[in-house]
Amino acid sequence: MSEPAHAAEITDSEEEAETDQRPVSTGAESVVRALENDGVEHLFGVQGGAIMPVYDALYDSDQLTHITMAHEQGAAHAADAYGVVANDPGVCLATSGPGATNLITGIADASMDSDPFVALTGQVPTNFVGNDAFQETDTTGVTDPITKHNIFADDSDRVGDDVGSALALSREGRPGPTLVDLPKDITNGETDTEPGEASVPDTYQYREHAETESVDEAARAVEDAARPVILAGGGVIRSEASEELYEFATRYGIPVVTTMPGTGAFPEDHELSMGGGGMHGTGFANMALHHSSLLIGIGTRFDDRLTGGIETFAPEAEVVHVDIDPAEISKNVHADYPLIGDAGTVIEQLTDAVERMPDADTWRDQCQEWKAEYPMDYPVPEDRALQPEFVVEALDEATSDRAIVTTGVGQHQMWAWQYWDWLEPGTFVSSNGLGTMGYGLPAAIGARVAADDDQEVICFEGDGSFLMTMQELSVAVREDLDITVAVLNNEYIGMVRQWQDAFFEGRHAASEYGWCPEFDKLAEAFGAHGEAVENYDEVPDAVEAAMEYDGPTVIDFRIDPQANVYPMVPSGGNNGKFALSEGQLDEI
Amino acid sequence: MSDDTDSKALDGPHPNERPETSRRRNAQGIRIDPDAEAEPDTERAVLSALVAHEPGVLAKVASLFSRRQFNIESLTVGATTDDDRARITLVIEEPGPGIEQAKKQLQKLVPVVSVTELPSDATRRDLALIKVDGTHPDQVNAMADMYGGQAVDAGQETVTIEVTGSEQKIDAAVEAFERFGIEEVVRTGTAALTRGAERTAAKVPPTAEPESKEVPADD
Repeated sequence: MSEPAHAAEITDSEEEAETDQRPVSTGAESVVRALENDGVEHLFGVQGGAIMPVYDALYDSDQLTHITMAHEQGAAHAADAYGVVANDPGVCLATSGPGATNLITGIADASMDSDPFVALTGQVPTNFVGNDAFQETDTTGVTDPITKHNIFADDSDRVGDDVGSALALSREGRPGPTLVDLPKDITNGETDTEPGEASVPDTYQYREHAETESVDEAARAVEDAARPVILAGGGVIRSEASEELYEFATRYGIPVVTTMPGTGAFPEDHELSMGGGGMHGTGFANMALHHSSLLIGIGTRFDDRLTGGIETFAPEAEVVHVDIDPAEISKNVHADYPLIGDAGTVIEQLTDAVERMPDADTWRDQCQEWKAEYPMDYPVPEDRALQPEFVVEALDEATSDRAIVTTGVGQHQMWAWQYWDWLEPGTFVSSNGLGTMGYGLPAAIGARVAADDDQEVICFEGDGSFLMTMQELSVAVREDLDITVAVLNNEYIGMVRQWQDAFFEGRHAASEYGWCPEFDKLAEAFGAHGEAVENYDEVPDAVEAAMEYDGPTVIDFRIDPQANVYPMVPSGGNNGKFALSEGQLDEI
Repeated sequence: MSDDTDSKALDGPHPNERPETSRRRNAQGIRIDPDAEAEPDTERAVLSALVAHEPGVLAKVASLFSRRQFNIESLTVGATTDDDRARITLVIEEPGPGIEQAKKQLQKLVPVVSVTELPSDATRRDLALIKVDGTHPDQVNAMADMYGGQAVDAGQETVTIEVTGSEQKIDAAVEAFERFGIEEVVRTGTAALTRGAERTAAKVPPTAEPESKEVPADD
């Protein structure tokens, strides 16, 4: 969390407030003022009855730009990706009832990935609440399990502060989605109360620094470790701690595995990088995890897709667990050395406390040997059908190191994750924990708005995943957003097809499309640029055309429909026994 | 290729040709000796939570325990002397790591100020109202005296007795009154406070990190 930078933003906008802002006169204006005071610049949403007063107040704001999405789910994913790229809350707006319920998937997604995210939802007037009024849903009730906190605004004088609390809570401590439900009489209601500075409720606290004594104990364990490994999770990226991680890992010579949300936390071209671990992680990452004697987990919740079966997870390792959320400590994997605090701060503490390099030369050599033993060289079949990994590598080569990649969920997501070279934190924007098909395109829209102009935005989608939210292409065209959508099209719900082949005797129940729309022509119908690619020779030109086109491009890559994602640790399996092919799954 | 018959395999040694590890973990992620694996015993714990006194807090607590599948034996909630704070007392049954996890998840809810697990000697009281057949009021009253209870409603057909005490005492009282024919029973669940000057739950959020419980690896 870069608090000083953020504090500076607040000061700037407050100064502006003194010069050219009118006093607030309604709850809705107070909501808008709270957003402005906090430095919010972009909103993603869809209009509707109960949220109309807030939109009306937005009409007068010079600071806030609203992007109208095609569907509220798209608004939620766009805000989520915006938050990930900006590392500050992305904000979405929706009306009551169906508007709010359409946000649910996006809120749950933000919750699983601890993303900074705020949803503002309209609600029927308070005197109708509880009466099953038109477009009434118990939004705070429905979203309670998937928000860090939610607030039912019941006072026009306080509604601006409610929005401020939601922003502060979403950002501070372990980030996560918050929601403010805004009844129409509260936003329409008169008030002259200016919202104060965004702040968390007095009941909310978190630690920045881990206890010195605990840090010292962990430091001794690091010094004595024969086979140390760092497991860097999404918390490293949220905490903007990549530099601290780099210093710690390189000073003490400790190999680094990343989780999926931790992708880019450590540059993959460094000798100590072991790539991503878990179900579809590299062989060398999983060997390093499985055989480590000291696992230093930083900002990770030891998700089951990472650990495989808990009984066989890093079975010889003592665990140092750094996390800002005490509830993550010993939730899935017992922590021998719990360190509660902000990732960046605690890594610095640990770096200072460790007094000598662990004696791990043999281990580092072993890790390099595993890299040589398990290369990520995908097999190419004799018929030379287009392999998806080639497409990923072609787009990686055509773009800069800071290019942002968004994905849907499925095989294409895993190929993109495996074969892109991740060098910068915050460049992989994906639905990690919830696994939401259709995340990629709306996320690319949010990422594009948040990213710097020199950062390309590439969206990998599968045909099935793309079809779930492709209406958002209308937004990319309307807003003239320069994004490239690479559809890895195999006319299957590919990951399900792969599992059916591996675990259900090849019975392709409801996973075969056998036909898809022509995505390039669909793109043209939307007013975007479209390309279709069927073989290797056509890849370079299509990629070049997409890079040159200043606006949204969709490339329909007709890939080998039989291509599969390996290595693979089957669900609940042993990370040390990852399969390198479907055939090997039967033999482990 | 590690296997010539498998043309689609990535390069590398076959899973069965890789080095093995010697240890494993139990289902709680604790490293164990494979020969000494035992299911952790379920324990009963009384948790006291000081919370913001505002609408929706009880729903948030109940929803948390439901979605994380913690077993609640009882839950009581009531006002405190501070208008802004209410106290929730929960009795839960979980293996040790589950109790730790429940405390931490509860603490994580934004309106929760602090959470304490009460020591076994804490003062704990349940209250029960027991409505029994009113044919023999004298005998019912005598039984109520034995349990330190009293009749709070008496009519032609039924007598209602109020009894307070530990959960075990209430269990015993209910059993004893069965001889008169129980019409209905209502129980409050446990309310509890620490003994002596020690605070049940701090008035400010704790900043110290929770103690890490030492879990023996080999028993």
